[in-house]
Amino acid sequence: MSLFFSNKNTDLQSVLHIIFPLFQKYKIRLFTGFFALVCVDLIQLVIPKFIKHGVDSLAQKSATSTSLLWLGIIIISAAACVVLLRFWWRLLIIGFSRILEKDIRDRLFSHIVKMDQPFFERWKTGDLMAHASNDLNAIQMACGMGLVAAVDALVLTSVGIGFMVSISPRLTLFALMPMPLLAICTRILSARLHTRFNLVQEQFALITEFARTTLSSIQLIQAYTLEKMQKQGFARLGKKYVKSNLNVAVIQGALFPASTLIGNIGMLLVLYNGGILVMTEVITIGEFVAFITYMYMLIWPMMAVGWVANIIQRGMTSLRRIYRLLNEQPIVIGGTGTFPANQISLHFSCRHLSFCYPETQRKILTDISLEIEPGHLAITGRTGSGKSTLCKLLLRMYPVERGCLLCNQIDVNDLAVNEIRKYIAYLPQETTLFSETIAHNIAFGKPGASRLEIEEAARAAAIHEEILQLPEGYATLIGERGVRLSGGQRQRLALARALVCKRSLLIIDDGLNAIDVETEQQVLQNLVSSKNYQSIIIVSHRINVLQLADNIIILDQGEVAAQGNHSQLQEHPFYRAMVEKQQTDA
Amino acid sequence: MRNYGYSEEGHQGNIKDVHLWRRILTYCRQHAKALWSAIALSLLITVASLMLPKLMQVAIDNFIAPQTSLDLSQRLEGLRNIIIGYGILVGIVFCGGFTQVVLLEWAGQSIMDHVRQKLFAHILTLDMYFFHEQRVGQLVTRLTNDVQNMHEMFTSVMVTLFNDVLKLFGIFCLLYYMNGRLALLMTVFIPLAFWLTFYFSRIAREKFRKIRTQVAVLNGFLAESLTAINIIQVFNRQQTSRQKYFEHTSEYLKKNIEQVRLFAKFMPLTDFMNSTAVALILWYGGGEIIRSQLSLGELVAFLSYMRLFFQPLRELSQKYSIVQSAMASAERIFQLLDTSPRLKDIDWSAQGAQHPIDGDIQFDGIWFGYNQEVPVLKGIDLNIKSGESVALVGATGSGKSTMIHLLARFYDPDQGTIRIQETDVRDFPLKELRNHIGIIMQDIFIFPDTVLANIILDQPLDQDKLRAILNQTGLQSFIDKLPKGLETVIGEDVKDLSVGEKQLLSFVRALYRDPTILVLDEATSSIDVESEKMLEHAVAASFRGRTSFIIAHRLSTIRKVDRIIVIDNGIIVEQGTHDQLMASDSVYRKFVNFDLQKQPFPS
Repeated sequence: MSLFFSNKNTDLQSVLHIIFPLFQKYKIRLFTGFFALVCVDLIQLVIPKFIKHGVDSLAQKSATSTSLLWLGIIIISAAACVVLLRFWWRLLIIGFSRILEKDIRDRLFSHIVKMDQPFFERWKTGDLMAHASNDLNAIQMACGMGLVAAVDALVLTSVGIGFMVSISPRLTLFALMPMPLLAICTRILSARLHTRFNLVQEQFALITEFARTTLSSIQLIQAYTLEKMQKQGFARLGKKYVKSNLNVAVIQGALFPASTLIGNIGMLLVLYNGGILVMTEVITIGEFVAFITYMYMLIWPMMAVGWVANIIQRGMTSLRRIYRLLNEQPIVIGGTGTFPANQISLHFSCRHLSFCYPETQRKILTDISLEIEPGHLAITGRTGSGKSTLCKLLLRMYPVERGCLLCNQIDVNDLAVNEIRKYIAYLPQETTLFSETIAHNIAFGKPGASRLEIEEAARAAAIHEEILQLPEGYATLIGERGVRLSGGQRQRLALARALVCKRSLLIIDDGLNAIDVETEQQVLQNLVSSKNYQSIIIVSHRINVLQLADNIIILDQGEVAAQGNHSQLQEHPFYRAMVEKQQTDA
Repeated sequence: MRNYGYSEEGHQGNIKDVHLWRRILTYCRQHAKALWSAIALSLLITVASLMLPKLMQVAIDNFIAPQTSLDLSQRLEGLRNIIIGYGILVGIVFCGGFTQVVLLEWAGQSIMDHVRQKLFAHILTLDMYFFHEQRVGQLVTRLTNDVQNMHEMFTSVMVTLFNDVLKLFGIFCLLYYMNGRLALLMTVFIPLAFWLTFYFSRIAREKFRKIRTQVAVLNGFLAESLTAINIIQVFNRQQTSRQKYFEHTSEYLKKNIEQVRLFAKFMPLTDFMNSTAVALILWYGGGEIIRSQLSLGELVAFLSYMRLFFQPLRELSQKYSIVQSAMASAERIFQLLDTSPRLKDIDWSAQGAQHPIDGDIQFDGIWFGYNQEVPVLKGIDLNIKSGESVALVGATGSGKSTMIHLLARFYDPDQGTIRIQETDVRDFPLKELRNHIGIIMQDIFIFPDTVLANIILDQPLDQDKLRAILNQTGLQSFIDKLPKGLETVIGEDVKDLSVGEKQLLSFVRALYRDPTILVLDEATSSIDVESEKMLEHAVAASFRGRTSFIIAHRLSTIRKVDRIIVIDNGIIVEQGTHDQLMASDSVYRKFVNFDLQKQPFPS
């Protein structure tokens, strides 16, 4: 059992503290459940007593048909009790494990939405998804069936052995001789089964991935007549898969017959030694038969021991992972500061702002000093020059050092994280929409937005007409089960979502690059002239977008290479190169 | 928890479909020996495990029970013999069981592997008409989950079906042999148990389906929230998301509790039947002993057999739903295997006539649409001389790529013919045709191996040829920039190549195959400036002396081609050299001017 506690890094008590309060909260439910479970076990152990009584009375020829009828009635009523009690423990205990699962699941989600970007870089979506499904399943299994089987096995074994001892201690010894072997056997085999089974799953994933990539590039495969190569690759994976399945089968093939084998060896020992005991009249034949019935009963808990140990161990490992996840803390921690009540415009000051992503060395931004005043600002520069990073810092997605970034003369570290975001609408590079209706998606920016506000935002984003052309207009479902939108449509929808909340600063991080140039220009012009926004910050490569801005910043390798408006920048080599390239191409 | 059968859109197979069974069985023929041995082992195991209680009964009746007439040493001797027999049987059950499991797994997996390979190979022969309509996800499901489902049938079902049915049958024979009336009484339990378990598994399947649906909802929501986490946080919608998630988890909990309740109701019932049967045996069987119709040992044996009796019944009903879903999967797999490509390939070896492939290409009155109502190409006439380089220019959806699709014969034109060297492309075997056309596509297929392996693919390695290509096109510098040159393992040494690098790689790949006709479908997404320059250079170098097409998205790359063809709405609107077209008031000139506005950031 020392394997349960193999990982000393996180101490057991605090790990168990995740589930402990729940056990406390539901203690009456659990107590009743386990009480019912123990009762079931006891009744089941008593039934063989009645059988023994019946067989004995038959052997001694003292049985009458009335006494036998009564016996039958007693057995059936005992069985009826078992049915009732079983119903209750299942509902109470397994039900509890499901409640526990939900509770942890909810806590996990609440925790995750509080985390910052550095966290999401360390924990990929796939990992988090896996935790939320596999680990929670493992914990649920351990706290449900795992606990039940543990208690069940414990009670059945101890009482069963007690009864057997009361019939004949000597015979009990013989009966139990092979049992530890069974427990060890299942323990070892099922642990190995687990690892081998994981291998099968991996192979299966490989096959799936191979098929998926091949079929999604089918045109290329056929154009290059690579069918044969792919067939060979697939066949190789298939062979491996068959082999790893056989490895599992070898263990499975041994595991289940092994329990029968060892059970039967015990039976064999009992038959021989018990037979002799009956012959020498140490025990009665009825006792002998009852003994055999108890033996059958012990096979299951013995098998269960190995199984339970595995389930609980897996549950503990998962619980530990969940614990680690729940103990993660965001690095971006704001103060409690807020802006004055009728604050509407944001004025950022960067003072020698440098930044590199957590756990990397490369500086993305170096020593940036910059005033971002209300107005229309454009940022441009090569891929990787730090444009997006700058936007993300303004949005407080990553930590910044004290004194390097001020907002309205207050250090951002002193402001509550949400305080700044309240005033910013954001359009990221990668558009993410939700699988809901279009109206819902737009109103995401402002829950409870009226239909009028939604349509107004859609108009401003130049998507209104297209929405009306969809089968169900604003009620059209998008995403996997709904309508598939083009990249440009998605971006304009995301823009509408940002516009509907009418916040004073709009940040567009290259989020309109799938829209054609003319539409983009028109949308932006309308935004600027509408005066709805104190500030617009836009990251773009397109010159005609940059032209519109009051101020243009050129970033190069994390530094501000130049700033000024379109005409001022004409003399800057970067900007000039851009214009010149246009001319030579023409 | 048990799997009550994977099923797609709730579809259940028809177990009574004889044709389907026959077809499944044809796949078993190769492994007939293994399967027959497994069945024989089934028989052996069943007989052996049924003999065990019988032996015990004989031991009790003849030797252990005090009322025998034998003396003690004879009784001991007899018991000893029985013990030896018992031991042998136990050994047989174990070895038989082990061998059977492994044997069946081997046979089952091999058969399924065969089905999978066959299906995969078949899918690869299907044409673009087919792939146009099918979703990749569904095809992958056929290859993975559906095959897996069928496999379930071989291992768990076929064995247990045989084992359980045999066991039930054997138990009945023994029971009737021992005491007919008591056995008859036990028979009552069979329909009862069957009805109960079938009824149960039907409801259980429904509950599981609901749970699975809810899991999908839950995971979908979680995945979406995680990808959109920055939006949720910036718009400060954490609370709303939490509430929604809690609603989903509550629903999930409700569905799970329903399932727990169902199991709580039904699971104890089988044991109740078991106990009832025991009570009946004691009461009625006891009466039979009093009436001297039954021996004590037989009664004990009856009791043991009853224990063996209920377990297979429960198993059988569970297997039923697995068989059902396996049949549904088999049906879907066979349906896919029966799909044949619409493009008819021809075989030269059968015809004897072989046509040379050269660079002269002729599009003659081509009409084509991916579906019948909307034509994409509306009467294309075009002659391209061997060695000529041609650029296709036009808006998205104008039909540029479609022309290439027809040339490489992914589709056949609805009207008109495409000829290479005076021969209709339909008269070339597909493999021959496509081997002569090197297409560099936007969709770039890179597999996790070395760059070298990604270049040569299925061709033999020819270092000199590769070096010549790299030098000629100037792409040696691209290779040199990779951490380990040609030996760089993609996915290990470098995480992934950039769009530009991928395009360069696939360019080398196409040239290595030494195509007669070269086609470049430029990447739409902007590639980095450096790669773009290299590509421009390589294109110019490799187009020399080769019939070549370029589908241009950035017009700066195509000025050097012999002829620019502007396509609009499926019709060729103008053609000529860059200078010719720029000199007139052409659509091309408008394109060029417009294109300038969205120039990427220069270096």
